Amino acid sequence: MKPVTKKWIFMKASSILLIPLMFWFILNLVGIYDQNYQNLTSFITSQPSKFLFCLFIVVSYFFSALSISEVFEDYIHNEKIKNAANKALYFSAIIIPFVTILAIFNLNT
Amino acid sequence: MKDNPLSPHIQIYTWHVSSLVSISHRITGIINILAITLICIWFSTLLLGDDNYDSINFFMKTFFGKFLVIGIIWSFCFQGLSEIRHLIMDYGYGFEINTSKLTGLIVIFGSFLLTIIIYILGKSLV
Repeated sequence: MKPVTKKWIFMKASSILLIPLMFWFILNLVGIYDQNYQNLTSFITSQPSKFLFCLFIVVSYFFSALSISEVFEDYIHNEKIKNAANKALYFSAIIIPFVTILAIFNLNT
Repeated sequence: MKDNPLSPHIQIYTWHVSSLVSISHRITGIINILAITLICIWFSTLLLGDDNYDSINFFMKTFFGKFLVIGIIWSFCFQGLSEIRHLIMDYGYGFEINTSKLTGLIVIFGSFLLTIIIYILGKSLV
């Protein structure tokens, strides 16, 4: 299988997983955005929201990294800049969800 | 890789519903990942404790906070509906000009309608 085919399959599989997670999150976002510290902490540290939110950010960054790299492929002419942009993109797609999940698991209710 | 053709710049095309949905799909994709990054920072700041959360809570309760959240919800709705349209097209359906125009309009108007529905539903769940 060609790498581009593999990338396309990963993109489609992650988008199928992301759509229901995204709708779950925005439905809950409406309910929590103006809540106080206790309510927000209790939402994010209780199950299933803790698991679903962690899964949501991991899948979101995975999907976004793949799709934004397509935008780089289409519009960035310079190979060196494109490679640097892709590396920065993949690095942030790993580090941001990792740090957030770590923060959530260290929260006390 | 070096000789790959680059996409022509968007200004040279005549605007159609499909092109509007396509470019908006990319723009909302970038907005969404920036929004998710903001949400990650927001949730991570909870580690700083109750006292430090007051200013964020104050902002979220203002008009701008509400506007930001509704904007994020619309962007997610647009991306979600547009992604469903893409998945249907991946199965080989919806390429006829009229169907493509119709599904594009469903994505545009549906995203606004869905934003209202999700906001009302979300508030009723609290």
